[in-house]
Amino acid sequence: MPFHGLFAWLRGLFGSRKTFSLGLYGSTNVGKTTLANRISMDWTGEPVGTVSEIPHETRAVQKKERIEISVDGKRLTMNLLDMPGIATKVDYREFVRFGMKPQEAQQRAKEATKGIVEAIKWLEHVDVALVVMDACQDPYTQVNLTILGNLEARNIPVIIVANKIDKKNSKPERIRAAFPQHRVVEISALKGDNINLLYKEIAKTA
Amino acid sequence: MSVQIEFVSAATLANKTGAEKIRFILSTVRQDKIIVLEQALTPAEEKELITQTMGSVSKRFPGIEVSSLSDAPAQDLRSMLIKMLGGKTGLTVVGPSNLVKQIKRDPGKLRLLTNG
Repeated sequence: MPFHGLFAWLRGLFGSRKTFSLGLYGSTNVGKTTLANRISMDWTGEPVGTVSEIPHETRAVQKKERIEISVDGKRLTMNLLDMPGIATKVDYREFVRFGMKPQEAQQRAKEATKGIVEAIKWLEHVDVALVVMDACQDPYTQVNLTILGNLEARNIPVIIVANKIDKKNSKPERIRAAFPQHRVVEISALKGDNINLLYKEIAKTA
Repeated sequence: MSVQIEFVSAATLANKTGAEKIRFILSTVRQDKIIVLEQALTPAEEKELITQTMGSVSKRFPGIEVSSLSDAPAQDLRSMLIKMLGGKTGLTVVGPSNLVKQIKRDPGKLRLLTNG
């Protein structure tokens, strides 16, 4: 298109806003909702969801729409999608171990399975994906590989977030070594460490 | 406790559609068997396997453990020839999670830990 460059220049001149959807993917308890809350609090002052040490706290896709961010003069509008953690098993007895009654645990397990299916369906509908990994855990899991494999197959831009670097036993270098083909940003969603680096990377990618 | 492991050749699954393949794997795993596929599942098939597994989760069947060794980039002549002829290497292991505690993975090696 001959005028494409001119339009792009004019858009830049008048500070246009690009809207995109940002999906947060990963296994359970890697800190997706903590990160979603961090992003949302930084730009809107409101959280997205509740955080818990019990797995599958997020059992439905949580959305925060039209978050406006401004990074290095680039203004963007994003729809933030905090996905339920993806897992290959959901054992209600795990919730019982956290003190839940069996019936309550079974209900949570049922909701968790639906959440996983919903998260998988959304894999095809995000513009940019943050694949969140716990830097204290082995990154070479089938869930991580399946998420990345499907995003790569659809050419969806991926940023790997090596989370929980505030913990003493974190080893983000393992994540870099496991996925050298992807950009990795090391952060602590809880403490906010390096969060600006992540915003820069998002702005560069979107 | 005895453990049954089924090794399935690529030819056995060659004529099955993706959905048939997933049904075959899940029905085997739900019989408390570990299944080893000669040909690795694709990411799309893995995604479908997780989706179908979630639909089958119950008190008795909490889910699966799965791991694949996928196609490594063809570096030697043999691998290159296999790829050129449309062949695939790699393997996938799937087991019921009440039997398989964990499948640990190094880039080129799978280690399966069973319960009990």
